[in-house]
Amino acid sequence: MAKSTSSDVLTLIRSLRSAYAATPTNLKVVYMGIVGSFPFNSFLSGVLSCVGTAVLAVCLRIQVNKENKEFKDLPPERAFADFVLCNLVLHLVIMNFLG
Amino acid sequence: MAKMLFLPLLILLLFLFECESFSAENPTDRRLLVLVDDLAIRSSHSLYFKFLESRGYVLEFRLADDPKLALQRYGHYLYDGLVIFSPSVQRFGGSLDQAAVLDFVDAGHDLILAADSYASDLIRGIASECGVDFDEDPDAVVIDHVGYAVSEIDGEHTLIAADDFIQSDVILGEKKIEAPVLFRGIGHSVNPASTLVLKVLSASPSAYSASPKTKLSTPSITGSTIALVSVVQARNNARMLISGSLDLFSNRHEKSGNEQFVTEISKWVFHERGHLKAVNVTHHRVAELAEPAMYRINDDLEYSIEIYEWSGSSWKPYVADDVQVQFYMMSPYVLKSLSTDLKGLYFTSFKVPDVYGVFQFKVEYQRLGYTSLSLSKQIPVRPFRHNEYERFIPAAFPYYGASFSTMAGFFIFTIVYLYNK
Repeated sequence: MAKSTSSDVLTLIRSLRSAYAATPTNLKVVYMGIVGSFPFNSFLSGVLSCVGTAVLAVCLRIQVNKENKEFKDLPPERAFADFVLCNLVLHLVIMNFLG
Repeated sequence: MAKMLFLPLLILLLFLFECESFSAENPTDRRLLVLVDDLAIRSSHSLYFKFLESRGYVLEFRLADDPKLALQRYGHYLYDGLVIFSPSVQRFGGSLDQAAVLDFVDAGHDLILAADSYASDLIRGIASECGVDFDEDPDAVVIDHVGYAVSEIDGEHTLIAADDFIQSDVILGEKKIEAPVLFRGIGHSVNPASTLVLKVLSASPSAYSASPKTKLSTPSITGSTIALVSVVQARNNARMLISGSLDLFSNRHEKSGNEQFVTEISKWVFHERGHLKAVNVTHHRVAELAEPAMYRINDDLEYSIEIYEWSGSSWKPYVADDVQVQFYMMSPYVLKSLSTDLKGLYFTSFKVPDVYGVFQFKVEYQRLGYTSLSLSKQIPVRPFRHNEYERFIPAAFPYYGASFSTMAGFFIFTIVYLYNK
């Protein structure tokens, strides 16, 4: 039971995270419509950081899902290490591009 | 001993003479060559020549077919101006010909050319090179049966009274020409496309150009398209006066505007009026004094220039409100009128446009009767250096916030994921 609860919590956090990462993207597009595209590099890096994080979180979730037979040979630790590495690379690029 | 004294004196005299001649600093002509058909013109036009001498000109009279005629010696022009009062000459003497006269003008010297009802092909050729076409019919003269001179009531009405002057104080002087000008001679037409030729005196609408002896067919030029006297200011600021009548300059017409007209227009032709110079072009950033080698986009700058007009003896401040400066790269990015302090200084300030490249400050000033001013000064404009931009842009704060909050989210998520196993 406890096992299932913690798994549920994990699933919940993951969904929240995906949802959080995707929401600011829409907000930023609206903001740019109001303010204009002047610091365009900042806008792009802001949007891409959200989109990129969302995509990576979705990938992690697919890979650690036990019911997903496609990745049954891939250990969850490996999937998490990939996720962290990709995030580090993504944010390095974002920081450079932010201006 | 006397010989030894004489030589330095001669050199000194020559030197003084050179100093007085036409130059950029002293643009009024000094030495004039007057070509005449016969020397009787010297007495029949004596009032005009006396006027020229009283203005300080040195006149040299020569017959137009004098075999020793020459405009230049050892590559230097001997005269500053040429007065051709020899309408019937078929061929000049000496080395002078049509090409030499035009070279003389191309070198920036001035010319007064008077034709008459018997103008030769040579005179017509020079005039047509200047953009003025005399009536091709050799017998044609200007006739006006309405506006003829009162003294010639009967007859052919070839002495006409013309008062259709050009509206320009600088060409004809500030004083209005009181009486009409009495004109007996041939008319010409000017090419309307030419911007250099100006009709100074036009015939009245009732005039026509035809031979008074033969039966009238269709006249080639009629009405106010007939120019009686025209001036040309070449692109090198050389000035020419072309008149269809030599009689215009003579002593004969006392009760007329002739004398005032020819003296005023001669002053203009010999650069006693309407000669401008521009000096001291400066530009600098606002609140700086030194002229920079380069501007940055969006800099504020100040531009100033001094413009003077030659009054015949000294440079006087030129006063106008229509002098403009252009900040120019392929097309003017900035076009501003200059304000003046009425002492010759013109100034303005403006912002460099948000475009980088090689610009020019340009002043192109062309006004009726004045010599043209055309100045340009090149100046590069550079973009901002990388460290001249703002480090953080307020408009981008939401983007910064979004990026950093996703990073924080990633961090929190990592901790939660690792410690929930």
